[in-house]
Amino acid sequence: MYTVTIKNLTKKFGSTVAIDNLSLNIEKGKITGLIGADGAGKTTLLRTIVGLLLPNEGEINVLGFNPATEKDKLLEGYTKDGKIHLPLGYMPQKFGLYEDLTVIENLRLYADLKGVTHDFDKMLEFTTLAPFQDRLAGALSGGMKQKLGLACTLLGNPEFLLLDEPSVGVDPISRRDLIKMVREMITPETTVLWSTAYLDEAHNFDTAVVIDKGKVIYEGKPHDLAPTPQEFENKVIDLMGGYNKEESLIAQNYDYHAPDVELTVEADNLEKRYGNFYAVKNNTFKIKKGEIFGLLGPNGAGKSTSFKMMCGLARPTSGTARIMEIDIKKNPERARSNLGYMAQKFSLYGSLTVKENLDFFALAYGISILKKDKKVNEVIEVFGLKEYENTKAEELPLGLKQRLSMAAALIHNPPVLFLDEPTSGVDVLTRRDFWNHITSLAKKGVTILVTTHFMDEAEYCDRISLFYKGETIAVGTPTELKQQAGANDMETAFINLIKESEK
Amino acid sequence: MKILLALIKKEIKQILRDPSSIVIAFILPLISFLIYMYGVNLDSVKVTIGIKNDDNSPEVATLVKSFGHSKYVNSINFDNMEDIKTAIVRSKIKGAVVIPNDFSTKLSRGQGVNKGADLLIITDGSEVNTANYVQSYANMIANQWLITSKYKMHLPRPLINTEVRTWYNPDLNSHYFIVPGSIAITMTLIGILLTSLVIAREWERGTMEALLSTKVRVIHIVLGKYIPYFILGMVSMAFNVFLCVCIFQIPFKGSYLLLFLISGIFLFTSLGIGLLISTVLKNQFMASMVAMSLGFMPALMLSGLMFPINSMPVFFQYLTAIIPPRYYISFIESEFMAGGVNEIRLANAFYLTVLGLILFVAVYKKTQMRLEK
Repeated sequence: MYTVTIKNLTKKFGSTVAIDNLSLNIEKGKITGLIGADGAGKTTLLRTIVGLLLPNEGEINVLGFNPATEKDKLLEGYTKDGKIHLPLGYMPQKFGLYEDLTVIENLRLYADLKGVTHDFDKMLEFTTLAPFQDRLAGALSGGMKQKLGLACTLLGNPEFLLLDEPSVGVDPISRRDLIKMVREMITPETTVLWSTAYLDEAHNFDTAVVIDKGKVIYEGKPHDLAPTPQEFENKVIDLMGGYNKEESLIAQNYDYHAPDVELTVEADNLEKRYGNFYAVKNNTFKIKKGEIFGLLGPNGAGKSTSFKMMCGLARPTSGTARIMEIDIKKNPERARSNLGYMAQKFSLYGSLTVKENLDFFALAYGISILKKDKKVNEVIEVFGLKEYENTKAEELPLGLKQRLSMAAALIHNPPVLFLDEPTSGVDVLTRRDFWNHITSLAKKGVTILVTTHFMDEAEYCDRISLFYKGETIAVGTPTELKQQAGANDMETAFINLIKESEK
Repeated sequence: MKILLALIKKEIKQILRDPSSIVIAFILPLISFLIYMYGVNLDSVKVTIGIKNDDNSPEVATLVKSFGHSKYVNSINFDNMEDIKTAIVRSKIKGAVVIPNDFSTKLSRGQGVNKGADLLIITDGSEVNTANYVQSYANMIANQWLITSKYKMHLPRPLINTEVRTWYNPDLNSHYFIVPGSIAITMTLIGILLTSLVIAREWERGTMEALLSTKVRVIHIVLGKYIPYFILGMVSMAFNVFLCVCIFQIPFKGSYLLLFLISGIFLFTSLGIGLLISTVLKNQFMASMVAMSLGFMPALMLSGLMFPINSMPVFFQYLTAIIPPRYYISFIESEFMAGGVNEIRLANAFYLTVLGLILFVAVYKKTQMRLEK
């Protein structure tokens, strides 16, 4: 029994082929993970299945309907066992929440729009959103937004759930909750199609579909491919053409002058208070030259606030930070000139092309006009942005946007790099590549402060500071932290340490 | 029906929580009323002029006095031309009248070839409007003085006695048509600027993609935008009329029922323009720019509110035919000042309805149910 059958599907945007003669069957009652690099065609495939995009060629059958002509029927509820059911529930990448409506208002709105009735109290309790039901959706943390988005999608108990990267940028605890939620809500008959960049997540699904350049390159049980998530990741990378660890060009070309400073980044009792609420409390750490220092913690723990204070974008309520021994409070400009900062939110110019953005940042960071072109071309080459050189930044897929942000942050070769979730929403190949650059840069002597939600990435860090509710709850090397928590992997260590601090 | 209600409820909540819509609907009309009432004045204003009198006769002294007593000018006496020049440069006076020393002598000689007295009026050509005022006021004062002076015997008997009677607005008070006209501006802002953002916002924030994967249909999306903003517009309209009539005491002679009915039709048309812009552009920034230049500026410039339509170049006169505020302003001015003129009501309501329906169909056709056409 198949929920979806796709035959020879082709979808083009102008001359770009997004889906290339793809055939695929999705089994009923199974959770299928859709895996692929950025720009591989995951979102386009989901949208075509829902009927939001029309195929150029090929046939799609979803629950007996053709989404291209019978989209309405897929969205029309029917009554079964006295309950209204929906054939299809789709959660787009941006969740589709109204930020100026409250949690409960969003739920009610979508229930009305889908023509279903629902026990909202049960849903709120189940999603642990009950205490926040009167909060505006825009004021929720990333993890809570995702839960609400999922709750809206689950309304009407759809037979077929399509989730487009629901766990991007969410901490491990929220991700576990999210998967738990889906597994508990569905029946054995429910089909789930879940696109993801997290391969450990996909490894737990019934079926994995790996697509690349609009074609299916693997379809089968994840466990058949590899028994552990780690090996699964390596296998998937191999399928995608393999990652050849080469010497990092960006590190090679990095114009780094070793400073005679040993402690390049210092946080000295940093504190940020809003009224009675401490966003960050007593944050103290010292980072040595060439060290990779990871800040880990759930969404809303105060990582980004710390970051902003460290680079002088937010004023600490008390305490200070020093970059290359320059006080960020007294000399913000001079301290910042030693810094490359990559913000969590995409903060480049959407209407400028990739090249124009890099041109701008090169000049803004004080690279001379004579050297600019060479530098920009080099960065474009190294970051694999050549074929997108003239694409507007806003039109890039998420992962490429991240890549471009990172390129812009280190175009002026600063001795210190601050990277706030640099790999959020980035595919596994690009992540590997990122970390190759990051570790190579550190070897050269560049100091790196990084946050991430990928626990496997934490292993790359020399030292980690675990952040929870504005405070540091543990500091040490990855091995030390795992020992302290009595865990074998970072994810369990993370969860254990947080549970312990709650006691 | 339930879907439509849900969408309307959602939209109203969004309106109430968005300070900018409240500002446009209620604060902005208040500010523009204040500006139009106390800032803008298209009526004749009192100008200050200088007078240099070189004629010592007692009769001419009364001419200088009548300049001083005039309700149109303030006068300042000067003794030499240098001072007048300085005063004009410093903008202390807007012009000057110079009475030559042979003024009374020449006047007593009466009419005829090479007879009659000269009077010099100096105006400041860098401010053309004011220069015109100075010229006509000085002329008027001098002539009025003449018919009451002892020289009046030299004047011919006039063949025509003119008598002016101004209908509808006897005091020629420009507030009486500008303030109601500003209601049209507010309604245009709500209809075009505010709504130009709303569909584009749904595309930008990704909520449209979620909406399109529910049971929502085109008609729900379209009406779900028209109705809430129509309500907002009509509430703002009522507030405007209240301000206009009760607070600023602008006389209203027409029918309130028809005022609201035809204002409703106008709003329907404006909403159509705003929503069409929003649907087509799908980008809030672009939509607001287009709304400003395509909606708001013509409403101000080409509607006949500021500049009379029949004094525009012919091309622009034709262009005003597709500018809804033109019909509305014509209606609202007549409704306020003249009261019920059925021809005006009917003609304007008809054109507005036709434009409104065309726009509604266009919005309906342009609203997509997929992420691509």
